[in-house]
Amino acid sequence: MLTSSEVASMLSRFPKFEDTWLGLSYAPHMPKHMVKETQEVIAIARKFNEDVANPLALKLDRLTHEDPDYLPWDLVAEANRWGFYTMWIPKIFGGQGYNLPSISCFSEEVASACAGIMNVIGVHYLAVTGLISSGNTRLAKKVLREVVEGERSGKPCTLALATTEPGAGTDVEEVDLVDKGKVTCQAKRVKGGYIVNGTKVFISMGHVSSWTVLYAYEDTKHPSETTIGFVVKTGTKGFSFGSHENKMGQRVCPASVLIFEDCFIPEEDVIFSPALAKKFTNKPFRDLAQRYGDYVVSATRPGVCAFGIGIARGAFEAALRYASTTYVNGRLLINNEWVQCHLAEMHKNVILGRLAYTEANNANSHRGLYRFMQSKPAYYYLKAMPRFWFDKVISPMLNWDITARVMGKLLFDMPKPEDQRCCSGWASVAKFAGTDLGVKNCQMAIEIMNHKGLRQDAGIEKMLRDIKLLQIYEGTNQLNRLNVFKCLIAPQVPQAQVFEE
Amino acid sequence: MLISYRNDLKPIADLAQSFAARELAGKTEEHDRYPFGEFYDHVLDKAHEVGFLGAILPESLGGIGGDIGTLCVILQTICQVDGSLGGIIFTNAMSQEIMLAAEADLAQEIFPGAASPREFLVAFPSYTDPAQTDTLPKAVGSGKDFALTGHLEFLVMGNLARQAIIPARTGKGPSYAFFLVDLSATGVEKSDPIFSLGLHACPAVDINFQGAKARLVGTENGGHAAFEKASLAMNVAAAAMNAGIMKGSFDEALAYSRERFQGGRAIVNWSEVSMVLAGMSIKSDVAAMCITQACLGLDKSGDGGGSQYISSSIHIHELACEAVTDGIQILGGYGYMKDYGQEKRYRDARMVQALLGPAPMKKLAMIRRIVDTGTNNM
Repeated sequence: MLTSSEVASMLSRFPKFEDTWLGLSYAPHMPKHMVKETQEVIAIARKFNEDVANPLALKLDRLTHEDPDYLPWDLVAEANRWGFYTMWIPKIFGGQGYNLPSISCFSEEVASACAGIMNVIGVHYLAVTGLISSGNTRLAKKVLREVVEGERSGKPCTLALATTEPGAGTDVEEVDLVDKGKVTCQAKRVKGGYIVNGTKVFISMGHVSSWTVLYAYEDTKHPSETTIGFVVKTGTKGFSFGSHENKMGQRVCPASVLIFEDCFIPEEDVIFSPALAKKFTNKPFRDLAQRYGDYVVSATRPGVCAFGIGIARGAFEAALRYASTTYVNGRLLINNEWVQCHLAEMHKNVILGRLAYTEANNANSHRGLYRFMQSKPAYYYLKAMPRFWFDKVISPMLNWDITARVMGKLLFDMPKPEDQRCCSGWASVAKFAGTDLGVKNCQMAIEIMNHKGLRQDAGIEKMLRDIKLLQIYEGTNQLNRLNVFKCLIAPQVPQAQVFEE
Repeated sequence: MLISYRNDLKPIADLAQSFAARELAGKTEEHDRYPFGEFYDHVLDKAHEVGFLGAILPESLGGIGGDIGTLCVILQTICQVDGSLGGIIFTNAMSQEIMLAAEADLAQEIFPGAASPREFLVAFPSYTDPAQTDTLPKAVGSGKDFALTGHLEFLVMGNLARQAIIPARTGKGPSYAFFLVDLSATGVEKSDPIFSLGLHACPAVDINFQGAKARLVGTENGGHAAFEKASLAMNVAAAAMNAGIMKGSFDEALAYSRERFQGGRAIVNWSEVSMVLAGMSIKSDVAAMCITQACLGLDKSGDGGGSQYISSSIHIHELACEAVTDGIQILGGYGYMKDYGQEKRYRDARMVQALLGPAPMKKLAMIRRIVDTGTNNM
């Protein structure tokens, strides 16, 4: 009917086929074994819920109200025993190397029991992503090997990531805004490294983490061109913790204030900087900072969607249990048509959200950060090779300068801008869709459960408190909407300007 | 807004405003720690002193003799700062409405002689429409003297008040009656305060009765009619609480948006933030207008008609739950923290929405009334 060039022309029209049917495009490239591996991950999560998360969720929430200074050391130790802090660390860094999209499925499962407990596990991977996507294999190896050792020794080593500042939240999420923002965390160049001064706020798991991936700015007037990423170990002189915040929900996962006062960080602990970038590309550093940021949020925002959908599912399941066992006016609640329609709507929300994070992960696997490891050759190679191969042969190579340069080229120089936009845009779609749907389901569950739903011991009110945070962190849902416009819509409209109102 | 039509309410509005500023503002986080912190008895004492606990009670019974407009002005103003005290005022007013409608003598026995604010409180299961509850306690007895057996959830102020108005069934059918119960009497067993989503400083308990002595309020099987009668105005009062919560949320969001900078300018100057604020402002104004109209209507028509009052109250609760969610969003991470008032409003608004029974049941009852009687008037 149509010639191949006509087909290509039709498919290149907005919305482009390649930006839209991502699952179809990725399917032929997906390693078949990922399905089995993901099933295993879901089964592990369900067992963890049965043994740990379900019995602890409400108990710990109550405990944090009784004792606002509570920190989840025991929970971290438990998650460490289950191997959760190395599960998604690639094998080349000593981890278990489960496929990266499967963390979203895991997140949905655990968040359906308790989003706070999931965050105690999940936020570690936000920092791991920040570390790995810098392309700095030497530092990634150094820090992640400690995580692996922490699992072996039973002394947990986890990571936190610090970007938000007291006067800059949304601004530090977006390169186009950061130069106009009020960032204050400064990294001053000195002999052998940097002196960092400033404060970071709302840093999930800060108090209980062993390493922090930290972003500071050499010139706070021009942060987009002078962003420096560090790893800094807890206990480093000049690095201390303030209070942790008194939050409405997800209380088991502390949000910490991090204080840097003349904190010296040596040159060798810099993961990302203009000087390092010059070794592998001549592209403007501002663009690299945007790409780096996009890598992190493209990987983590589908995870936030999965958190939201986990809560949406938890709310659905709580309402379903209640409606199945409660009589109103002599009639089982679930046998009312309006309740059945409410439950169907809630179930639909869960399914739609799951599709959204799956598709965002398909974008990452096909065109983004995961494309190396989620391709069939790399996946099966990493699966097949014995651990000693990575420990004895590959591991020393990670320290080589040439490895960092190759990684830099692969991550920052070669990828196409349209791939970056596709992944970032889809991640934002998933993030705000999943979290908004989560809020909706919690509201509907409370509507069905009435005053029963208002009690902490029924579980659903905690979900309503927990879900709200997801509309805020990893970029507010408003910022994510703008990012969707910027990445997926504006490229079709040359006259469109974003953040230039 | 109501005070523009009712000058007589200006003094009570001013009093509520100065009370909120003096006793509640800046202390809501501390008050909200209950049941894990101290209960704010000193605030309750002062609320009693100024008459808020008897807003609709005749002066002869120790109240300030106000009408539904008075109650709504107090609730709207107080709840801008702290919904919890509003919950206490509301619940006491509901108990008083039930008692006053049944028999003035009963109120005469309780309120004028109350030796302390806590004695002035009468607990009530404010989140329940008893007609929609299959598990009410059973009442056995005759005349005015009955004994209650069974379980009741979420008795608001059950751990504060000396007495409670309890719905219970005297027969096998769905009808019920209200009873006055001394909560310190034999056969009454109370739980610890319920740890709930919001309104922490308006606590509730679960309660068990094992042959507890109870006095019939009104007539046997007359509970539903009494509840319907009282709830017409009290639904408006609950909506006034959420109108206040919404206004408080909007005011805090607007103030924050003027001070918080993003991308080099105050966030109020970004059009998406303005749109969110506009949505909150519209909801808040619509709520205020509905409350005003409802209070004026109730003043004129008394208890007759008034389907719009229930409808507008359901609508206001829905608006409030949306607005308070946006109220947190404008403040970003700070809105989620207890240092600001927004997260409490997010929790409180949903508690207030549940007052007098679940919204879906109210909606179904509305259509049933229309189908059965051709009108939605109660």
